Amino acid sequence: MIAAAHTHAGDVPAPGALAPFRVLDLTNELGQLCGRVLADLGADVIKVEPPGGDPSRWIAPFYRDEPHPERSLHWWMFNANKRGITLDLTHDDGRALFLELVRRSDFVLETSPPGAMAALGLGYDDLAAVRPSLVMTSITPFGQDGPYAQWKASDLIGAAMGGQIMLNGELGREPLRPTMSQAYAHAAIQAAVGTLIAHFHRTRSGEGQHVDASLEEAAATWLDNAAPFWDLVRVNLPRPGNGRSTGGRLSGKYVYEAADGYVAALSYGGLFGLNARQTIAWLDAHGAAADLASEEWLEKLDASRGVRPPLSDADAHHLVEVLEAFCRRLPRAQLMREAQAIRNGWAPVHTPRDLLEHEHLRARDYWTEVAHPELGASFVYPGPWARLGATPIALRRRAPLIGEHNDEVLGALLGLDEARLEALAAADVIERRGGGA
Amino acid sequence: MTASDRTGGRRTPAAPPRDAFAGIRVADFAWVGVGPLTSKYLADHGAEVIRLESRTRPEALRRAPPFAGGQPGQDRSGYYANFNSSKLGAGLNMSHPRAVELAKRVIAGCDVVTESFTPKAMRAWGLTYEALREVRPDVIMISMPLYGATGPWSMYQGYGHVLQAASGINHMTGYRDGEPIGTGIAYTDFFVPHLAAAALIAALDHRERTGEGQHIDFGQMEAAIYATETMMLDYTVNGREQRRDGNRHPQGAPHGAFRCAPRGDDDDRWIAVACFDDGEWAALCGVLGVEGLCADPRFATPEGRKRHEDALEAAVGARTRGWQAEELMARLQAAGVPAGVAQTCEDLRADAQLAHRGHYWLLDHPEMGRCAYDGPSFRLSRTPGRLSKAAPLLGADNEYVYRDLVGLSEQEFIELLAGGAFD
Repeated sequence: MIAAAHTHAGDVPAPGALAPFRVLDLTNELGQLCGRVLADLGADVIKVEPPGGDPSRWIAPFYRDEPHPERSLHWWMFNANKRGITLDLTHDDGRALFLELVRRSDFVLETSPPGAMAALGLGYDDLAAVRPSLVMTSITPFGQDGPYAQWKASDLIGAAMGGQIMLNGELGREPLRPTMSQAYAHAAIQAAVGTLIAHFHRTRSGEGQHVDASLEEAAATWLDNAAPFWDLVRVNLPRPGNGRSTGGRLSGKYVYEAADGYVAALSYGGLFGLNARQTIAWLDAHGAAADLASEEWLEKLDASRGVRPPLSDADAHHLVEVLEAFCRRLPRAQLMREAQAIRNGWAPVHTPRDLLEHEHLRARDYWTEVAHPELGASFVYPGPWARLGATPIALRRRAPLIGEHNDEVLGALLGLDEARLEALAAADVIERRGGGA
Repeated sequence: MTASDRTGGRRTPAAPPRDAFAGIRVADFAWVGVGPLTSKYLADHGAEVIRLESRTRPEALRRAPPFAGGQPGQDRSGYYANFNSSKLGAGLNMSHPRAVELAKRVIAGCDVVTESFTPKAMRAWGLTYEALREVRPDVIMISMPLYGATGPWSMYQGYGHVLQAASGINHMTGYRDGEPIGTGIAYTDFFVPHLAAAALIAALDHRERTGEGQHIDFGQMEAAIYATETMMLDYTVNGREQRRDGNRHPQGAPHGAFRCAPRGDDDDRWIAVACFDDGEWAALCGVLGVEGLCADPRFATPEGRKRHEDALEAAVGARTRGWQAEELMARLQAAGVPAGVAQTCEDLRADAQLAHRGHYWLLDHPEMGRCAYDGPSFRLSRTPGRLSKAAPLLGADNEYVYRDLVGLSEQEFIELLAGGAFD
């Protein structure tokens, strides 16, 4: 249906940087992007799920909107490049097999409430006893200990507690998170950095360690300049709506309607700032500068002459009106091209369709086609988030089906024979090709 | 262990723990947000990160508020300081005739080179990866322009406020029928550095094991798309263009921020509540004292609560208005409802959990005095990292970098200094 220029999963020119290492990934939606990052970097990441599959397989949206544990696009997105097994960790045999896997692994990632792994006999100390060099990463809403450690949080709660939503939305209306999980993504990718720091230390010293990552704290580190504003001048930055905070004051407007969508019109130093002269000349060339092409306005706007005093409300309002009228006349691509020619860093507000069809991403072979053989189809996924020259990131496989790799992991890696696998399945410790689409 | 002081942060401990990146040296040509936040991870875990800056083309954040005491100055910005803890500062004026030679001599002693210019800058100076390999064969270089090293947009510029628009984040952020306002901040500046750091540390690890360095072409837009959750797959798989819908969630209700009682004269207090099942909904009704709402057949199932979400939110908001946000949060959490105050930065500095984890580090700066810095959001049990010093003054470490590392003679150093090479 949707054609795209792209590369194909499986065209792998060289192994990834983490190819020698194995990861056991027990995480839910709070941490799955952490394992995805390690998998993209080449690690053998094995998703370990309870029989029946991880509850996050029920997160919407679904392929063709059919709720099914093998059809969650959320599962597909955050578990691509991983293998998958089922294992009942509340069962003695399941725990014993897990410890056997830990002996052969380098990382364990988990998101259970603080203390839950230890209660199963699988806390950091238990795992380090069988694999001293293990790096274990625990991602939780608030951290392993402390007054809020047992509190519950979803993405929205993390974003609220971490200070993010109070920086977004309109004053007088409710503060906003993006309509997609961001605090989770931050917790997961920051935990990935912590995990890799621990790994680097292990490479040089042989020592393992425990990484304790917090959703709230991860959210609290993406607040732009808001924390120092409070620290240094005791100002809580206001929510700017469709403006920007500059120096604690709200600028007029930042996203404008173009002829074919929206454009983000902002340059260093604000809408005019250091490039005021060039920007006004640009508008003037389109007959859209109104009265701005005057020495009086340049004196007010041209920051290359030194810091300008704040505009009056009437002047700020006038500028917004002039820009609104200008942007509405032209398509986004032309606005961006012409803005960039005078070093104004504007960009279009891209929709998903814009991104898929984007000339630049296509020229870089960003989009990657991933086969879903069980559906008899292939789908286009976002491609490499970094281009490592010697150890490239590659999208090698779609997310695992429930228990898809039980035989190859428990059989080939742990050496269990067919009879033993059947016995484990009969005792509901594992599942053998249970899911299927 | 670290000591807390009265303002709720911690101080650098006297006896340093082991540093994961001890012995790693970084020549940091990057500026503004993405580059400095990437190298901050290395600096805060023991690498020697040298910020190479020029007062002739000043780092933008040195000129951006907030300033200590509200007084502008190139060494007074809290915006700059927070991203540059634990780093050294050296001046290098790239328009000086010997600048490229000096840059190469610094790089010869470094394991990592970072930069975030549009791709033409390093090419113009002859500081490409191929050239740097000549002076340091196992060097790892990460280039972090907005759009990557190649492709028709590679020379375009911008920063986080506009890149979030280009990456699809604005499209998904705003009120249901409102404009695509984005996140209120230069968002991608705070998302992509974690992925850049992950790539960089993986490359360092590869070099440690194999001896092989490499170049990393890190196009910020390609990383930022990983912030869009299922937005792209829903389009490529189902042909559906997802849209912004405020705080709502397709599988939870109520799922939003609700106004609470004023705190003093501050009438901008909100609590976030997210209910995903009948148990959380019943517990919410119990704490709010609206058992009648719980019995309302419209709200009896998750599907019903989604269908009647406007009425549901109005009913919940009418009750939260009477509560102090903090008290309601504690009561809801005790009842098992995911809930949290929409905290301001003032609140964060008083947050008992962040204080317990010692998130903020209080560091003494020669011009700015004692300021709070963000530490990493994770705790490593053996190599916890430490913010070893406040942000560098511009050029503060010139002598160390050019005399001790590069090996300039005293006379040569003074001549270059007088000639403006370090300006």
